[in-house]
Amino acid sequence: MIEFIHTGKTYPGGVRGLDDVNLTIRQGEFVAIIGLSGAGKSTLIRTVNRMIDATEGQVLVDGVDVMSLKGRALRRFRRKVGMIFQSFNLVSRTTAIKNVLASRVPDMHFIAVLLGLFSKAQKIQALEALDKVGILDKAYTRCDQLSGGQQQRVALARTLNQNPSIILADEPVAALDPVTARQVMSDFKQINQEFNIAILLNIHHVDLALDYADRVIGIRAGHIVFDGPSSQVTQEILDDIYGGASVPKVADEEAKA
Amino acid sequence: MTEPRRQYRPNIKVGAELADAAPVILKRVRLIPVPLQALGIAALGAAFFDVSYLVAFPLRPVLFYLGIGLAIMGLMTFLLHLYLKPVKQMLPNGHSVMRPRSRLLLVFLFLIPAVWLSLIVTKFDMGIIARRGYQMMNILEKIFQPDFSYFEKVWPPLLDTIKMSLVGSALGSFLSLPVAVVASSNINHSKTTLWGLRIIINVVRTLPTLIIASVCALIFGLGTFAGTVAITVFTFGVVSKMLYESIETIDMGPFEAMESLGASRFQAFWSACMPQILPTYLSHSLYSFEMNIRAASILGYVGAGGLGILIAERVGWRDYESLGTVLLALFVTVLVIENLSAYLRRKLS
Amino acid sequence: MQKSERILNRYLERPRTWWKPALSFLVVAAAILWSAASIEYKGVAVRGSDVAYGVIYGIFHPDANVLFDTGNFGVGYLLFETAAIALLGTLFGGMLAVPFAFLSSDHIVPKPLAFLVRAFVLMVRTIPSLVWALIWIRVTGPGPLCGVVTQSVCSIGMISRMYVTAIEDVDTRILESLDAMGCTRFQKVRYGILPQLMANMVSTVIYRFDINIKDAATLGIVGAGGIGASLIQAISTRRWGIVGAFLAGMIILMLAIEYASTKARRRLAHGS
Repeated sequence: MIEFIHTGKTYPGGVRGLDDVNLTIRQGEFVAIIGLSGAGKSTLIRTVNRMIDATEGQVLVDGVDVMSLKGRALRRFRRKVGMIFQSFNLVSRTTAIKNVLASRVPDMHFIAVLLGLFSKAQKIQALEALDKVGILDKAYTRCDQLSGGQQQRVALARTLNQNPSIILADEPVAALDPVTARQVMSDFKQINQEFNIAILLNIHHVDLALDYADRVIGIRAGHIVFDGPSSQVTQEILDDIYGGASVPKVADEEAKA
Repeated sequence: MTEPRRQYRPNIKVGAELADAAPVILKRVRLIPVPLQALGIAALGAAFFDVSYLVAFPLRPVLFYLGIGLAIMGLMTFLLHLYLKPVKQMLPNGHSVMRPRSRLLLVFLFLIPAVWLSLIVTKFDMGIIARRGYQMMNILEKIFQPDFSYFEKVWPPLLDTIKMSLVGSALGSFLSLPVAVVASSNINHSKTTLWGLRIIINVVRTLPTLIIASVCALIFGLGTFAGTVAITVFTFGVVSKMLYESIETIDMGPFEAMESLGASRFQAFWSACMPQILPTYLSHSLYSFEMNIRAASILGYVGAGGLGILIAERVGWRDYESLGTVLLALFVTVLVIENLSAYLRRKLS
Repeated sequence: MQKSERILNRYLERPRTWWKPALSFLVVAAAILWSAASIEYKGVAVRGSDVAYGVIYGIFHPDANVLFDTGNFGVGYLLFETAAIALLGTLFGGMLAVPFAFLSSDHIVPKPLAFLVRAFVLMVRTIPSLVWALIWIRVTGPGPLCGVVTQSVCSIGMISRMYVTAIEDVDTRILESLDAMGCTRFQKVRYGILPQLMANMVSTVIYRFDINIKDAATLGIVGAGGIGASLIQAISTRRWGIVGAFLAGMIILMLAIEYASTKARRRLAHGS
C-alpha cells in the first residue's frame, strides 16, 4: 500500500513539482495518472522508489517511510518496486534474457556480477518471466532487433522477474504505435489482475487511461485535481486537468494512421 | 507532447556546494558585454605589468610577462569584437540586412605575418633544397635496394618492437579503463576529481613518446623494459582521453533502470554501462596498438629498445641499404597489423 | 505442451557461443604474457630513482631564468621555433598533398595509377618521421629547415588520405546546375567543388598541425630544430630545473594549440 501524506517537492530554483499531495493506493489497484507535460506525473511516481526525493511530507510504502531508507535498506526496498520507462531502458546490445536476468543482480555475489554468471535456476526463472509476457521465442534475440512493443515487454518481463508488489510506469506506451500501445496496456491489466500487483502508471493518452485503468488521478501543476474511478471522468473534469487544452487521445493518432 | 526526460542524477553529495557557487559568479561576469570584458583583462594586464617592477625576482618576470600577455590578449579580443560586429547593409528599396564580416580576411591577416615570421625563424632557404636535393635521390635509391642478407639481424629487434608495443598497449589500455570511467561526467559527479583527473590525463597525453622514452631509459636503464614503460604511459594518456569522450555519449537509461530495481551504483554501472563501453574500449585499444608499433620502432633511438637502435646505427654508418631492409621489415609489419586491426575493429562495431 | 516443458525446451535450445570471446581473450592474453616474459626487467638503474624524482621536481620548480629568457635559448624562442616548424611543415604538406590526393583517387585517375600512387604514399607514411629527419639532415644540414622539410613530407601521407575521402564525398549534382547556367570548367570547379572541399581540407590541415606540433618537439632530438634538442640535452645533463621549464612550456603550448584546433574544427564542421 502506498500513502502520500502532504507530500511536496520543490526543485532547486523554486519550481514546485508537487504540492500537498494526499493519496492512498491499495495493493492490487490499477491507477492511471493523467495531466499535462510538466504537471508532476513523473515526479509523483518517482517519489515512491526515491528516484526523486520528496522535500515535504511523507511517502509511506507498506508503512515504511521511504525517506528514512538509506543505502542497503533503500536498495532492498527498491527490489520490491518495479519501474517501467518510456524509452524501455534496456541494454540494446544484449539479448532479452540477459536483460531480464539483470533484475537478479542486486542479490548476487560480486564475482558473479562481474563475470555475468547466472545459475540455471535463474535462467529458467527469467524464461518464465519472458513467457508471462508472451515473448519466450525471442529470449535469445538481441534487443535492438526487437520492435518497440517487444522491447517494452522485455522491460515488463525484467520487472516481473523481481516479483514486485508495486509496478511504477512512466509513460510506458508513449513511444509505441496505437495498436502496440493497446497490447501493452492490456498486458499491464492482465498482470494487475493475475498477480494482484499495484500498478501506478503515468499516461499521456486519456482514452487508454480510461479504457484500462480502474482509478484515475488527474494532476495539474503539482496538485491533485481529480481522484476517482475512471467511469466518473467527465469532459468537465478533463478540462480542469488539462486547463482547457485539447485532450490527447490515442484515437487521434489511430485516425491519422 | 510527452514530458521531457529528466536528467537522472544519483544521490551523491561530494563537492556539490563548491560546484554550485562558481556558476553563479560566472553568470554575473558573463552579463558584462564581451568587449568590456576584454578591456577589463587588458587593464588587468597593464596593472600586472606596472606592479611587476615593484616585486622581487621570482614574481617579477611572472607578473611582467603575464601582464604583457593579458594586455595583448585583452586588446586583441577587444579589437576583434569591434571588427566582428555585423554590418548593416542597406538596399536601394530601403530594406536592410545585417551582414557578418568576412572571417577569411581575419584568417589571412593572422596567417600571413605568422608564416613570414616562421620563414625567418626557421631560416628557410629553398636554395639549399634545390642544390642538394640530388643527395636525397641518392639516399633514396640506396634505400630502395635493400640488402636482404641483413634481414637476420633485423628480426630480433623487430620482435622486440612488437612485444614492447603489445605489452605496453595492453597495460596502458588496462590502466586507462578505470581512470577513464572516473573521468566521465555522466558517471562521476564530483567536479573537482573530474577536472583534476582530466588535467592529468591531458598532460600525460601531450608529452611526446620519445621524451617519455628517454626519461624511462635513464630510470630503468637501456633496453626494452624502458620502452615498454614509455609505451604504457603514452597509451594510458591517449586511450583514457578517447575513452572518456566515448563514455560520455552512452545511454544512461539502463543505468537508471538498474538503480530503480535496487542495484548498487557499481552493479548498475557494470550491468548497464559496461556492455555499451566494451566494444568502443576494445576498438580504441586496438587503434592505439596500431599507432604504437610505429612509435615503438623509434624508441630505440634514445636507447629504449627495438628497431630504433638499428636505425640509429645504420644511418650513422651511412649504410642505407641495410636501412632499407629495416624499413621494409617495418613496412610489412605495419601493413599486416593495420589490416588485422581494421578487420577486428570492423567486427567490433 | 506443458508450460514448464516449453520453457525447459527453450532453455535447452539456447545458443552456446560463449566460447568465441573466451577463445579470443585467451589467445590475446597468451600473446601478451609470452611477450611480457621475454622483456628483461633489469630493475631500476643505478641512479634511476634520482632521475624520476628529478623530473617530477623539475616540473614543479621550473628554472625561471630559462623560462623567461627572451634570447635564443629561452623557452619562449624555442617554442616559437617549434611552432614555426610545425606551421610551415603543415602548410607545405597541405599544398603538396593536393596533387597526391587527386592522383590516388580512382574516381579521377585510372585504377592502376591510383594504386601505385597510394602504395607510394603508404611507403612514405610508414617511414617514421624521425628516420626521414635523419635522412634529410644529409641534405639540408641540421637545423629548423630540416624539420620543416621532414614535416612537409610526413604530413603528405595523412593529409592526402583525408583529402581523398573529402574528394570522393563531393556532391557532383551541383555541377549540373552550374552547367545549366553556362559556367566554364574553371568556374564550375571554383564555385561548385571548391566550397565543398574547403571546409574539410582546412579542418584536416588544422588537425595535422596539432599532430605536427608534438612531432616537431620530438624531431629536435635528432637535430632538426625546435625544443627537442635542448630538452634532451638538459635531461642527459640532469639539469632538472631546465627540463621542468621546457616541459612546462611544451605542455602549455600543446594544450593551447589543441584547444584552439578543436574549437576551430568544430566551428568548421558545424558552421559559425
